[in-house]
Amino acid sequence: MTVPLASYLLVALILFCIGLYGALTKRNAVIVLLSMELMLNAVNINLVAFAKFGAFANLTGQIFSLFSITLAAAEVAVGLAILISLYRNRRTVNVDEMDLLKR
Amino acid sequence: MESRWGPLAQYDWSVMAPEFTILIVATLISVIDLLMPNHSNRRPLAWLGIVGSLLAGWFVLQNTGHGVVEILNGSYRVDAFGNVFKLIFLAGTIFTLLMSINYLNRGGVKEEEKVVDHGEFYYLTLTALLGSMIMSSSADAITLFVGLELLSISSYILVGTRKKHLLSNESAFKYVVSGSIASATVLYGISFLYGLTGTTNLFEMADRLGQAYMAGNALLIYIAFFLTFVGLSFKISSVPYHMWAPDVYQGAPTPITAFLSVVSKAAGFALIIRFFITAFRSVVDYNAANGPHSVLISELLLVVGILAAISMIVGNTLALRQTNIKRMMAYSSIAQAGYILVPFATLTSLIFEQTVFYLIAYLLMNMGAFAIIMIVTGDRETEDIRSFAGLYHRAPFLAIAMTFFLLSLAGIPISAGFFGKFYIFMSSLVMGNYWLAGIMIATSVVSYYYYFGIIRQMYMRPGETEAPLRVPAGIAVIVLIAFIGTVGVGIVPDSVLNFIHANFPLMDLIEAAGQ
Repeated sequence: MTVPLASYLLVALILFCIGLYGALTKRNAVIVLLSMELMLNAVNINLVAFAKFGAFANLTGQIFSLFSITLAAAEVAVGLAILISLYRNRRTVNVDEMDLLKR
Repeated sequence: MESRWGPLAQYDWSVMAPEFTILIVATLISVIDLLMPNHSNRRPLAWLGIVGSLLAGWFVLQNTGHGVVEILNGSYRVDAFGNVFKLIFLAGTIFTLLMSINYLNRGGVKEEEKVVDHGEFYYLTLTALLGSMIMSSSADAITLFVGLELLSISSYILVGTRKKHLLSNESAFKYVVSGSIASATVLYGISFLYGLTGTTNLFEMADRLGQAYMAGNALLIYIAFFLTFVGLSFKISSVPYHMWAPDVYQGAPTPITAFLSVVSKAAGFALIIRFFITAFRSVVDYNAANGPHSVLISELLLVVGILAAISMIVGNTLALRQTNIKRMMAYSSIAQAGYILVPFATLTSLIFEQTVFYLIAYLLMNMGAFAIIMIVTGDRETEDIRSFAGLYHRAPFLAIAMTFFLLSLAGIPISAGFFGKFYIFMSSLVMGNYWLAGIMIATSVVSYYYYFGIIRQMYMRPGETEAPLRVPAGIAVIVLIAFIGTVGVGIVPDSVLNFIHANFPLMDLIEAAGQ
């Protein structure tokens, strides 16, 4: 028995929405960065599922997902570095305390 | 001849000379930066970067006029569209580097406001440039995305280079978070396009998207379009993904603010126009009641037009109540993004010329304005609009140039910005989009208020000091070039437009290689 394509897409959609929700609502900046990873992983699931079960199944999707994994790692590495320098100056990782730029 | 590199040896690698130049110069700068003694001045590195950018510009000019060349199966592509955008990026980067030299080496700065690593600052600017160049000359979704990320990640770091400065840290973090959400959204959209077409090459994608539409996948195509567009609107800071702009523009070092508002935005437009026009042009609805029509033109771009209108309204009205000059310029740039989206939303046959013309005008006036903002706010040590008070008595030439840049941004006649806006306005009238043209006029009038607010400060308000403002040579050069450019383009707009039209056959965007 094979799992249909739609189930993979549904998992990816749920993951993407959880990630988006987390990135927009969580207080802790580290969780926000984690949520962004969830969103990018949803994309990877999509790409790999399409590469296997899509209308035009081919390897390109898997190669694309390798690129997106690499770039996601680079992005979060930079994000964490910036968060560390923020923490050194501010002693907080709470997103709702980052409000110096309101006016 | 059989070589052990196989097909790789048969490509005409010389067409990639501009990118290679920037890559080599960026690598060189990073290595030299490592070997230099810690406390020596990094100024020569910036000059190396400027020379490299000029050289790359020369290579771009060598590449123009040879038709379309594609190597690496479409993942790299030289066409007039890419070339003209590359020239805009290179000019913007040279201005940025010139500003950075003065910004990094100015005296009397508080410890926490200092940029610690000057070398890093220069080569990250170049890698950001490299990313935008890749974005403008590729016809493959993977490379386009890698270019986008190279630009984004470099600019995240650049925004946060003032490591001890709280505002800088905070704006960098906000930039990373919103940027990552945006790129995840873009990727999610592209993953659906890949699923529908099984390819990442934009030209193959175009053929198969039409079939996919006819096969009943219209909903997925709409979803993919909007996800991708929403994500990409982050780069051009237009509605719906504009809210990062004020915070990031305020917290970033001023040269980087200028870079983000010009180069990064132009790169976003290059990507948006290339991606959507190439991939979606053959999505045609054959079963419509009133005959076949292009879904891109008749349905998708209507939404883009509405978003452009909202950008103009949001940008221009929120700019009214800003007291921080950089924040005000951020809202102004949101509004400008709305204007530049209009040719894409109306899609006349002159879309490329109109967009490129406006971007050239925008490059000149915005770079000039930011150079002056950098000098004035650095001198008064505040970014409040009141820091411009009495500028006319302190530095008459700066005040006159700034007046002209602001008039041009507002779109007052006989300036580059006016004609840019005029052509865009005509395009929406020609296509019968009267509501869009109306909103453009109305919001432009609103924008006069805040642009004239600065002019009022410069001429009519007494400053705290009457001491003449010392203008460093680099800044004077930028202001002079931008001033001459803004006035010149405003005086002979037709020649500029004809020059673009004659030398850059921009429609080759959708031509296959070798024609």
